[in-house]
Amino acid sequence: MNIAELLPGLLKGLANFTLGNAVMITVALILIYLAVFKEMEPVLLLPIGFGCLLANIPLAGMTAAEGIMGVLYNAGIKTELFPLLIFVGVGAMIDFSPLLAQPRMVLLGAAGQFGIFGTLMLAIALGFPLNQAASIGVIGAIDGPTSIFVATKLAPELLAPIAVAAYSYMSLIPIIQPPLMRLLTTKKERLIRMDYAPKPISQKTLVLFPIVLTLVVGLLVPDATPLISMLMLGNLLKVSGVVDRLSKAAQNEIINIATLFLGLAIGATMSAAAFLNFDTGKILVLGLIAFVLDTVAGLLFGKLMCVLSGYKINPLIGAAGISAFPMAGRLAAKTANDEDSHNFILMHAMGANTAGQLGSVIAGGILLSIVSKLV
Amino acid sequence: MKYSVTIKHKSYVVEIEDVNARPVIAHIEGQRFEVIPDTDPVGSAGKPEPITQNPTKNKKETKEVKSFDLRKPDPNQHNSELTAPLPGTVIELFVKEGDIIEAGQVVVIIEAMKMKNSIRSTRAGKIAEVLVNPMQTVAHKQVLVKFE
Repeated sequence: MNIAELLPGLLKGLANFTLGNAVMITVALILIYLAVFKEMEPVLLLPIGFGCLLANIPLAGMTAAEGIMGVLYNAGIKTELFPLLIFVGVGAMIDFSPLLAQPRMVLLGAAGQFGIFGTLMLAIALGFPLNQAASIGVIGAIDGPTSIFVATKLAPELLAPIAVAAYSYMSLIPIIQPPLMRLLTTKKERLIRMDYAPKPISQKTLVLFPIVLTLVVGLLVPDATPLISMLMLGNLLKVSGVVDRLSKAAQNEIINIATLFLGLAIGATMSAAAFLNFDTGKILVLGLIAFVLDTVAGLLFGKLMCVLSGYKINPLIGAAGISAFPMAGRLAAKTANDEDSHNFILMHAMGANTAGQLGSVIAGGILLSIVSKLV
Repeated sequence: MKYSVTIKHKSYVVEIEDVNARPVIAHIEGQRFEVIPDTDPVGSAGKPEPITQNPTKNKKETKEVKSFDLRKPDPNQHNSELTAPLPGTVIELFVKEGDIIEAGQVVVIIEAMKMKNSIRSTRAGKIAEVLVNPMQTVAHKQVLVKFE
């Protein structure tokens, strides 16, 4: 046997390695670096980064339909299983009592969704077809599972850049939001203290809320039902108080396993051929714009509520009306507390934040139902 | 805003970033000071009068502030006690009966929505009574400590 004949066979991996693969492996290493050393959404960016690394090893076959990544993708992303399982866990972690105690916060949860529609229009102006533009707009839901859920249905070819934009900007919220908060509010507005004297929320209300909301949203926006119902199922497990084991499983094992596989499968779609193009760049820019628009709209609406309430509402809580639970709520509270160490608007900000979580799911569902009829 | 203050025939230039912020950040001769003014009018005998270097500006500010009800003492916040500004669980307690504390000193940490909130004293004084224990849940405006 001639060694010279064997050599090409042994080196076929290297021979098929392209410049694009090298670029994408660099991207993967950057994502892993940010996750490990900067702790940016490590739970997601680490598996996404490793999935991306695997997707760019030529001839490994892992992303083929029968490879592990292909199996995960077909079983969990294409079917929307993983984002929905994540929502069961998110629901079990959310406490809706600050929202139930202050129902007017719902308005802020609606204002925080402006970025979805603003970005959608920008994307259309940039030449994206409606289904793709809508999927890009949903980055403005600032909610990973919702973005993935909608993009899978409307424009699966853009899933990877949309997920990467959604999760990386979410980890950058502490950098994106505070300058906007300070820019758009006056010092006096930030100093407004808010009383928190809610009526106590009864156990009955807490249990009825997820059931009623599932029915109402389900009947009005059927396309939002999968997301809202899984979110509410998780919440019901928590508030019922009788299935502590299931609630803990949802908050830990279920969401952790789903997150790991979702991250890996999304990362594995980041092959050089699919990811390295001009559209990805545009999506990353549009995603950032979506985050900014959400925050600005929320803050402006907060200012309007501030004036209408006779300066009783601190407009900073408007910035918490996006999804990104609980980071956005904590940031609004922290910004107010930094200004005045005796000012605590945490409960109000959390009310707006949970409203934003619901708002983003409902907005995603509305978008899905409108766009899927139009395309 | 810059102020000139004369203490024992020596004048200092005090630069204050914002008089409404708490703590007030003051720069004096290159050094940065954080000051939390005592809001208790009874215990502030030694409190200097507001400096009116620029009367018109000061007047305007007072008026603006008033419309926000910022400087009006909270009717429920008796100066003789410190109340919880938000509901949650007391996870750490830094004072005990008989302690003499300063305004701005952290008294308790209340955890709410998985976020730790340092509750600072609104005044200086001696603690007469501590009404909460670690791991106790507190309601909004529940009295945490009483001052003598």
